[in-house]
Amino acid sequence: MTTRHRTTGGLSETGGHPAAWQGPEIDLTPQRSRVGEKIIRAGLMGSALLSVVVTAGIVLSLLTPLISFFSNVGVGEFLFGTEWTAAFGDKFTWDDKSWGVLPLVVATFMVTAIALVVAVPLGLGAAIYLSEYASERARKVLKPVLELLAGIPTVVYGFLALTIITPILGAFFEFNSIYTALSPGIVMGFMIVPTIASLSEDAMSAVPLALRQGSYALGANRMKTTLRVVFPAALSGIVAAIVLGISRAVGETMIVTIAAGSKAHLTFDPREGAQTMTGFIAQIASGDAPQGSPVYYSLFAVGALLFVITLVINMISIRLVRKYRQAY
Amino acid sequence: MKEQTPVTRAEHTSVTPTDDKPTDEPAAAHVRLDAPSSTLRPVDGAPDGVIELRDLEVFYGDFRAVKDVTMGFGSKEITALIGPSGCGKSTVLRCLNRMNDLVPGARVQGRVAYHGVDIYEPEVDVIEVRRRIGMVFQKPNPFPKSIFDNVAYGPRVTGMKTDNMDEVVERALRGAALWDEVKDKLKQNAFGLSGGQQQRLCIARAIATSPEVILMDEPCSALDPIATAKIEDLMVELAATYTIIIVTHNMQQAARVSQRTGFFTAEADDMGHRTGRLVEFATTEHIFGNPTDSRTEAYITGRFG
Repeated sequence: MTTRHRTTGGLSETGGHPAAWQGPEIDLTPQRSRVGEKIIRAGLMGSALLSVVVTAGIVLSLLTPLISFFSNVGVGEFLFGTEWTAAFGDKFTWDDKSWGVLPLVVATFMVTAIALVVAVPLGLGAAIYLSEYASERARKVLKPVLELLAGIPTVVYGFLALTIITPILGAFFEFNSIYTALSPGIVMGFMIVPTIASLSEDAMSAVPLALRQGSYALGANRMKTTLRVVFPAALSGIVAAIVLGISRAVGETMIVTIAAGSKAHLTFDPREGAQTMTGFIAQIASGDAPQGSPVYYSLFAVGALLFVITLVINMISIRLVRKYRQAY
Repeated sequence: MKEQTPVTRAEHTSVTPTDDKPTDEPAAAHVRLDAPSSTLRPVDGAPDGVIELRDLEVFYGDFRAVKDVTMGFGSKEITALIGPSGCGKSTVLRCLNRMNDLVPGARVQGRVAYHGVDIYEPEVDVIEVRRRIGMVFQKPNPFPKSIFDNVAYGPRVTGMKTDNMDEVVERALRGAALWDEVKDKLKQNAFGLSGGQQQRLCIARAIATSPEVILMDEPCSALDPIATAKIEDLMVELAATYTIIIVTHNMQQAARVSQRTGFFTAEADDMGHRTGRLVEFATTEHIFGNPTDSRTEAYITGRFG
């Protein structure tokens, strides 16, 4: 076993190569079995697989109730119907209700859009300030405080929306109830500012100093350097941050449950109350939905749709991140 | 220190932001420095300086990185700054277009006069300074943009009035001896270029704003010998138009391309703080042929540093 590893030189007579190895033989085969490493490797792989298993489990658990739901409600009726009265009427009959999910979907995207209008400018502004303008000391204080915002329970944001933001907005707009889409949208925007700001700041800070220096050396000021060099170079990470913000907004439940009301109706007016998909799920799941009843099955249908929407957003995100990725 | 230098400002060369008429021609009235300080032993006199340093000291916080630098950089000459690592030559170079402003805690004392104007005066616009005094860095640092956009960046951000950006870009790329290699792929990302091409792109980017002076901080240290030779040829060519100041660790390079050489070294004081200083500044021929200072001789013959 040990003799295999002997070198045989003898390539040259001209002295360009050293003479063949004449010294003691060495053994380069594994000297120990390294079982620990195999165990660690298996453990790490298990952790990586777990998320895949959980995702598959979610899909599977949705499957049976989904089949029950769609054997009673047409897919077209569900996806394109404009009226949602799942919680009304007799609990155990399918026929006296409308199963058009569009009102919930429109409400979800309306609230999300309002949140983005608030969060993208604020988040990117904060990121640019922290990454490019703030002194080291200011950054050290501000960034943790900003990230603390992300740790506030969303139920607190919900009450903030209902009891503070809605009355303030009421001074400017005419609301016909205390439930509006506008107020939770704005508060949800505040909620996702830290997500967008923190991740965008990471992306911008990762842009090499050499690029900034190159820009300054050409006579660019800080704003031009930020907008024309740092921002494009970090765009991939910034897009990822915004998409994560969108995902959080779409899936956010507490704020809309508390402040957007539970009236499912198709509206594009943010001053009205509007039940979102998550709002509906929270309302029914926390109320009395007898197992096996139509409204119980509808939870799974709405949940599956939410799952698909999030999946699509994430796929778009991966595309965009690849498209804007700039090697530097 | 400023009262010691009663230098009249050249009227036609203003680097204040209020002056919207840039001077393209080098100033005729150069301001000569007075007798050089004791550390300076000029052989045939300091050149008429486009940039002149007098008793320059640079601090990073409390740390004095460089002191006693008095020298002038001749118009359309190549001046090389050499010396061992940590001697402050790159620090001095970065003072010349105020890149040290970007380092927190950096402070400059003494005088850095560009055409007689102290560029550290409060009314001086650093952007005007950098437009006239360009810089090429140690590692090629093209922007993650197209080749065209890299070259057009400087003219765009400084608001240079150009009728035809294509022309500006072509002229700069030709000036940097890169045009023939990239003319068919101007829209491609600059990162597709080789290291040597990237560095020439950075030179093209620097000359696109029509500077008068180009600072080069070890521009070949990341390049192979062939790319280095190309950049050296280019430097000699560019010196017909531009004043070039280069920091280099490569003494052969300094000897090959420069007309004047400044040798820096760092010496520890009683407290053990190492501060860089200019030991000798003279023609390159003198520095490499018959250096006056024994430390210079020790360095260039490889016995030290």
